[in-house]
Amino acid sequence: MYRTAAKRLLIDSFRTSKTRLPTTLLTPAIIIAPRFSTSAANQSLNFHSPNQHNSTQPGAPKTATESPSESSSYSSASSSSSGTAEGETYSSSNLRPPRTEYKDEQARILHASLRHVTRLGWTEAAMMAGAREVGLSPSIVGSFPRKEAALVEYFIDDCLQRLIDIIDSQEDLKNLIPSERISKLVKIRLEMQALYISRWAQALCIQVLPMNIPTSFKQRAMLVDEIWHAAGDVTGDIDWYVKRTVLGGIYSTTEVYMLTDNSPDFRDTWAFLDARLRDAFDLKKTMQEVQYLAEAVTAGMGGPMQGLVKRWYETARHGLGLEGLVLELIGQSLRSANLVVLGQSMYQSLDGLECTRSCSDKLGLSIDFVAHAICLPPADQVWNSGGFV
Amino acid sequence: MALRTISMNSWSKFSPMLSSAFRLHSHSTSFGFKEVHEDEKSELVGKVFTNVASNYDLMNDLMSAGLHRLWKDRLVSELNPFPGMKHLDVAGGTGDVAFGIVDTIKEIKHRAIEEASEDHFTEETQIYVCDINPSMLNIGKKWAIERGLGELPSLIWVEGDAEALKFEDNSMDGYTIAFGIRNVTHIEKVLAEAYRVLKRGGRFLCLELSHVEVPLLKQLYDYYSFSIIPALGEFVAGDRESYQYLVESIRRFPSQEPFASMIADAGFQKVQYENLVGGVVAIHSGLKV
Repeated sequence: MYRTAAKRLLIDSFRTSKTRLPTTLLTPAIIIAPRFSTSAANQSLNFHSPNQHNSTQPGAPKTATESPSESSSYSSASSSSSGTAEGETYSSSNLRPPRTEYKDEQARILHASLRHVTRLGWTEAAMMAGAREVGLSPSIVGSFPRKEAALVEYFIDDCLQRLIDIIDSQEDLKNLIPSERISKLVKIRLEMQALYISRWAQALCIQVLPMNIPTSFKQRAMLVDEIWHAAGDVTGDIDWYVKRTVLGGIYSTTEVYMLTDNSPDFRDTWAFLDARLRDAFDLKKTMQEVQYLAEAVTAGMGGPMQGLVKRWYETARHGLGLEGLVLELIGQSLRSANLVVLGQSMYQSLDGLECTRSCSDKLGLSIDFVAHAICLPPADQVWNSGGFV
Repeated sequence: MALRTISMNSWSKFSPMLSSAFRLHSHSTSFGFKEVHEDEKSELVGKVFTNVASNYDLMNDLMSAGLHRLWKDRLVSELNPFPGMKHLDVAGGTGDVAFGIVDTIKEIKHRAIEEASEDHFTEETQIYVCDINPSMLNIGKKWAIERGLGELPSLIWVEGDAEALKFEDNSMDGYTIAFGIRNVTHIEKVLAEAYRVLKRGGRFLCLELSHVEVPLLKQLYDYYSFSIIPALGEFVAGDRESYQYLVESIRRFPSQEPFASMIADAGFQKVQYENLVGGVVAIHSGLKV
């Protein structure tokens, strides 16, 4: 799913990056374009038609229904010179070579423009230099929907595609644990930007402009999705969003850190990245302990409690981890004092203070409140201490 | 004759009104709501513009309540001019669009000097203003002097016919035609010429009064066009006929979609249009690749 979406985004990067003007700006382009799409049939017809055209030129017109032939017989009637028809050169002659699509030309220009970015920045000047390199008039830059943003988005799509290729080709990812896999992939991806690091701040500013946010957000989402997918994530529930948000946050902070990192080969950035991933993955170790505790506790109870504890355990394993457990407990504590006592015993068996602290940070609740909520037996007292966010 | 058949087939798909005109008399075209012989139209239009030239800009301001300046500014910003550009403004007449482009490029050059600039930027910008009517060109030259652009080597005034331009193939980075294509005899010839003179990567931009479909606005606009504008013409310029021609020619011109198809037929890609004021004015653009 992610791969096909990535390929689609790369190929149709201009379609997705079109802004939505409050007018029918896009519809006519879509209506008109299909008539001129270079299909194989058109191409073969173009190659064979010159001979036919030459022989029937002075005589009756062809009853061809294809528009290229119509306009070519028109242009021949206005006696324009027949120019060369090789490759992509487009002349007003009666011979119409395979039509160069403007999207291909735009992609070529963007590719050429990247070479000028270190010198000229992510600007129209770089795009005009790219256009000149490719042999087109710099006016074409005016036809890009959001100019500099188009260049940045092209680069990011290109990086994503390269990342996907690397993921496909590298088998040794499977030997690493998930957090190291992610670390490696993020590192590979960020290194692709290393070449433009002197101008990357500008690229980030461009991405953050309101009209560019939808596309840049989508690109980031796809990148994060791809990395998690490569790291072996197969969840499909609410957890999916949490994981991607967390990784998105880590990626963005690392990217920004990289802007001011002067260490050789960005060593400090990778250290920063590893530290952030460690924080995020820290919960995983406590999952084991929660599992054992849950099993021990359920052994001593029976019936409906087992189902409930199983649910807690599942939440703890797949969901927000320990925080999920605590949240569940707080919720449940509003309904039953027994459950609170149970939660209390679970809570006390683990590193209580650490748990409280991390829960209060991530849930946005005060430490006091979390501590209170877990330890307080009567349900109404929890409610009275202010409810929770 | 063969040529007409083909264009009739394609035109009849888009504009039944115009194809019926063809069937009446194969060499007739529209002059407002009147049918005239093709050879006459050019002359008639010439007379209209010679008459209106002296009051042209004043009347534009009055009729559009000054909006025409904003429309032309929008056209220039869509064009995205750059220093070193070779641009052709056809039917440029009194030079509004050309002045806008010159001002924009001057601003860019000013900013570029502060940064490290490329050699290309020192290439000479050339803005050609082409018009078939010498009276309009003279007014334009007068405005240029008043704006202090009289001696500017970049601004070149040329008398010429949009259907048979004297410029070389692949010589222009940009081509604009503002409120002019409505008045030509053969639209497709003008489009073909535009395609010819543009370089690869060059853009075609056309600003023109177009068709309004929004229900209430349409009625208001029709009333305004047929009742107020000719009266205004008579009162301010003493010339009701010319302004009657103006509003009629707007109605006879193909609407947004058919015109966009015509542009695509000429060979342009990425043909798009943008409606301003609900369709009163439309900016069509195309790319030569």
